[in-house]
Amino acid sequence: MLEHALPAFLALIDPIRIGALLAGMAVGMIFGMLPGLGGVAAVSILLPFIYLLDDYSGLAMLLGAVAVVYTADTITSVLLGAPGSPASAPTAIEGHALAKQGKAAEALGVGFLASMVGGLLGAVILLFAIPVAGPIVLSLGTPELFMFAVVGLFFASSMLGKNLAKGLGAALFGIFIGSIGPASAEADFRFTLDQVYLLDGLSLTIVALGLFGVAEVIAMLASGGGISGGAVPVTNWRDGFVGFVKHRWLILRSAFIGVFGGFVPAVGASASTWVAYGHAIRSSKEPKKFGKGDIRGVAAAEGANNATIISDLIPTLLFSVPGGPAAAIFLGAMFSFGYYPGPRMITQNPDIMFLIVWSVALASVIGALVCFAVTPALARLTKLPFALIAAPLVLVMVMGAYQSTGTMGDMVMLLLLGLVGWAMKHADWPRAPALVGFVLADPMEQYFWLSNQIHGWSWLARPGVIIIILLLVTPLLYRWWKARNVVADSSSTDDSADANTGDVRVNFSLSLVLLAVFVWAFVSSLEFSPDSRLLPWLALLPGIPTFALLVYQSSKKLGLSEKTAALSEIPYLLALGIYVLGIYLFGFYLATVPFVAWMLFGCASSRPITGLAYGVVIYGLSMFLFGLLRGGPPGGIFF
Amino acid sequence: MIRNKLKKLAVVGTAFFALEAAAVDFSGKTIEIVVPFSPGGATFVSAKFLEPYLEKHLPGNPDINVVDRPGGGSILGANWFEKNAKSDGTTILFTTSSTANPFVLGKKGVEYRLADYRIAYSHPFSAVAYTSPGTGIKTAKDVKNSKQPLVYGGIAAAASDLPGLLSFEVLGLDVKSVLGFKGRGPARLAFAQGETNLDYQFTPVYLTQVVPSVAEGKAVPLWTGGAVDSEGKLRKRDPIAPELPSVYEVHKQLYGKEPSGIKWQAFEAIASVTYAYGLTAYMHPDTSQDILDAFAKAANDINNDPAFQAESKKVTNGARLSAGPETEKAIKGALKPSPEVKKYLVDLLSSKFGVKF
Repeated sequence: MLEHALPAFLALIDPIRIGALLAGMAVGMIFGMLPGLGGVAAVSILLPFIYLLDDYSGLAMLLGAVAVVYTADTITSVLLGAPGSPASAPTAIEGHALAKQGKAAEALGVGFLASMVGGLLGAVILLFAIPVAGPIVLSLGTPELFMFAVVGLFFASSMLGKNLAKGLGAALFGIFIGSIGPASAEADFRFTLDQVYLLDGLSLTIVALGLFGVAEVIAMLASGGGISGGAVPVTNWRDGFVGFVKHRWLILRSAFIGVFGGFVPAVGASASTWVAYGHAIRSSKEPKKFGKGDIRGVAAAEGANNATIISDLIPTLLFSVPGGPAAAIFLGAMFSFGYYPGPRMITQNPDIMFLIVWSVALASVIGALVCFAVTPALARLTKLPFALIAAPLVLVMVMGAYQSTGTMGDMVMLLLLGLVGWAMKHADWPRAPALVGFVLADPMEQYFWLSNQIHGWSWLARPGVIIIILLLVTPLLYRWWKARNVVADSSSTDDSADANTGDVRVNFSLSLVLLAVFVWAFVSSLEFSPDSRLLPWLALLPGIPTFALLVYQSSKKLGLSEKTAALSEIPYLLALGIYVLGIYLFGFYLATVPFVAWMLFGCASSRPITGLAYGVVIYGLSMFLFGLLRGGPPGGIFF
Repeated sequence: MIRNKLKKLAVVGTAFFALEAAAVDFSGKTIEIVVPFSPGGATFVSAKFLEPYLEKHLPGNPDINVVDRPGGGSILGANWFEKNAKSDGTTILFTTSSTANPFVLGKKGVEYRLADYRIAYSHPFSAVAYTSPGTGIKTAKDVKNSKQPLVYGGIAAAASDLPGLLSFEVLGLDVKSVLGFKGRGPARLAFAQGETNLDYQFTPVYLTQVVPSVAEGKAVPLWTGGAVDSEGKLRKRDPIAPELPSVYEVHKQLYGKEPSGIKWQAFEAIASVTYAYGLTAYMHPDTSQDILDAFAKAANDINNDPAFQAESKKVTNGARLSAGPETEKAIKGALKPSPEVKKYLVDLLSSKFGVKF
């Protein structure tokens, strides 16, 4: 089989094919950087073009895009703090905090190199798909997949942060919104309020954008024309390389976690990224540094997410079962070219197999190099007034959200979740557990249900399950054993002191609203069949007392609250709400004009001529992108 | 003599219609084909597969644009079509029984009037049942003597699994149906892992994935859903796997008589919109007959196009498009089952599979 490696490489470096690969990479990098638009959007936008090319070029183009999305998203996540794609949310947390400390170059450098390693490892695993990866995928039955989700949840527990109630509340909120939509086997549709929009549950893109992106954009708009904090200096890559070498084993372990994530069908890169991030926290001697800017978080997340999206291709190529959403589109493209992936394809079309491996490997390396090259220039953009950066960002996020179903529901959901994310930020709740809870809720429920349906409870005795349980429990026992011999240190009980960090009024309101929502959800869950109740109750039963506690704690301090940042940002939230209402009534074309004008002249206080020119360019580009993505932006009721 | 005259009249008639059809001209126009599923899915791929042939054979060679509108298990996309479709033949809803079943069952949230729509063309989406060798089953006849309990892996009872589940009812099989997989792909993986031992797969996947494992001795093919015969009954063998009996035949083999009664009627109605007319292109209710005739002619020309024949031989074992009044009548009939069939379906789904209405 290896004799096909060189011919495939020579076939790939044909000018047109390399050109296609590079073109795909360009689209992938741009979409990776744009928050809310990622691999799926990049691949869908390229789809019409690949049919103009031959099979090698067309597939290389798609692979070029897929392989660099999770490299380029590092840039947005680190520089702006809004995740470039859902799977880089940990990078946004740690990397952006580092950037604020002046360590952007280190975060970016480690991120790019870790992404490259992840991509290359994915390519190598792909190469050994038949002898190694195939049997592994086949040995993972539903019980093992369930255990993976449990491992993820276990790791998520290390992200809860210093105030247990807030961390737990966030995680339970995530699980709760993950339970919206169909229960297993679609016996019940939960919490849908009779809206067709909610029948499929919430989209990961919108949840990630809402929880992380909206709050950042609001803060940017509110900071107005000022250049807060000055430009992010990205000049010296040395720290990046040093950090990379220092954390090479963590990156490699994370890449392996990512590869495993890819083996699991229909689970995207987000889940494995969080597991890798949780692993980084667990394996660290100073877990308290996480959340405040720890390079290990970036290393782990970026090593994992790129590895996942590449190894998503393994179930795709071996079994025709797409490993993730972008891989699903890639599979469709392969069908269109007359390739039907399966165990036989690798013996029948070894050339294609190697073409894929080479494309992915080349794109991973070139992608990282290009990121190194373009980032200093992009970092200079952060010298611009924040509101100027925020303006196109808002449009892109709206566009990204609208890709989910192409209905108004996408925008309303973005706004609602944005409100929650904003409130969580100001109430000082950790947002990571919410996203993890959301990501893991569905696989957890699905595989638990299937395991029990197929095997009864006997699945607990499967060797794979027992191995995973031992892997989880052994380190815990070991730590407990060690801790027993050390005098207990008393650093663990300052919870109540931390309860009222952040804005007290926001904390109070958020807790109260979530308490009300959870009580309502509990009442309506009484109508579900017992199986459908399991997952929501996992969130609701502990959630109600948690939120009640938070309401009680914050209500005591309500009286002595002063003017805070949160208060001054409320008008900007309202403006965003009015914009969404405007789209609903008058359509994107009309509503966007005053909104962009308000952002540029109202928030950024641009000069008339430059502001107008900039506004026209943003408006035009957003219309162009909308046209490419969905045949045009949404119209309103009146126009 | 009279028959000859009638024949001539019919020829003249068709020629007349052909002339009329030629008056429809899509040149310079764009036809939007809405697929209410994600771009990687089988329906989207099939729409893309047909795209170049439609562009080639429709009068005026229109530009075809396949657009995905996923969500709500295809209900969102179909509802969008209900509100936005044009009646000049430039908007098409290309979908499967996942859209038809909620309509037939009268589920909440359905705003589209599927039975009122006109039918432009249709493509079969046959399915083959197969089992694992561990059951000891060699052919469909042994299916009641399985050595292991039969376990079927599916997605959801009220969606595309419905005809498969109804076939087990028709054949009187004791099958444990494990629903809740996220797609037919993961269900097939569970079969390969030995977690389930009875599975249905649709044509392209059957030919490219299951047939190789049959050759390796890892799967035993059993039957197909069947194909519609000249009387509009689901009795024929399916051309995609002519060596396999249809559900109808298997019933005769097992019980010595042809299937009948409410179970069979329900299976026939649901299976024909799922299999025989599995992928159907719907149009606005006010679309003129000229446009439909133009599409029927294009479908016929595509069937005769050697390039299409060669390609479809590979993917679907030579399945062909169907269009015209017969097709439309059959589909519309299946979309409006009798009240008894509807009641049976609702009762079965709620009592056996816990579906709420």
